[in-house]
Amino acid sequence: MNLVSRILRPSRVAFAHCDGPCGVYDPASARIAAEAVLSMEKKLAALGDGQDLATQNTRGRFIAIKEQQAELAKKELDILWHDYFKPEHLEKYPNLHDTFWKAAKLCSKNKTESDPANGEALLAAIEEVHKIFWATKNRDVAFYRAS
Amino acid sequence: MANRRGSTGDRTPPFPFAGAILLAVAISAATVAWARWRFLRVAIEGGSMLPTLAPGDWVVVDRGPFRDYRPRPGDVILGRDPRAPEREIVKRVDHIDLHGAAWLLGDNPAESTDSRQFGALPPGAAAGRVRWRYWPPSRISRVR
Repeated sequence: MNLVSRILRPSRVAFAHCDGPCGVYDPASARIAAEAVLSMEKKLAALGDGQDLATQNTRGRFIAIKEQQAELAKKELDILWHDYFKPEHLEKYPNLHDTFWKAAKLCSKNKTESDPANGEALLAAIEEVHKIFWATKNRDVAFYRAS
Repeated sequence: MANRRGSTGDRTPPFPFAGAILLAVAISAATVAWARWRFLRVAIEGGSMLPTLAPGDWVVVDRGPFRDYRPRPGDVILGRDPRAPEREIVKRVDHIDLHGAAWLLGDNPAESTDSRQFGALPPGAAAGRVRWRYWPPSRISRVR
């Protein structure tokens, strides 16, 4: 038996894998950036319209972080859209392009405006991406927020 | 035994078929060595070739009878990942381009990394063709 298994056992392994250059994708990175955007929008709203120097400086910082994180969210969405998703996924989820297009547009809107409603809308759009993403991997992953 | 005229003399073989047996042993040894050179036993990992090949399948790869294997469109081949040559991969040949390079595609494109990402396999980079699956027993068959 030992001899038979020695004769039969393969001498090498060949991979029929799927991998990106790193292979690690997760809509969570877009979600975290979007949460930072929403957080800045809420802080801006709470800051009020004070015109003293300290308030102006703080407002400037909040806006800078909000725009930076909105840009990051857009980039993270693009990585999923361009690198992870393949034509076969589009066939199965025909609204894929529309979902990403709307999410990217919302990133821009969050840059030009400061309404927390835009941040909420962006998170909702990322939740849609999350659902499609994990469905393509046949995994049931719940969407959650860090804050 | 009588010493016949014109014969090689009294060098009577100790066993009449020794020469024939030695020849048979030599031929079998050569055949086994040749078969071991020609055919490789390979284990499959990953699902990019489903439903043709499943993870855990054991297959025989044919490197060709005498000269190096040359891939043809439609063949399931054993090759090397151009990005990481120590990594052996199994994919199907989609087409051969003008330079003789093989463009590979998984049978399960949604879960495959292939020439769409890493480009074509240069000529001579394909080790052989996947011909048969011999394990598990329930799935023994030719691989097309």
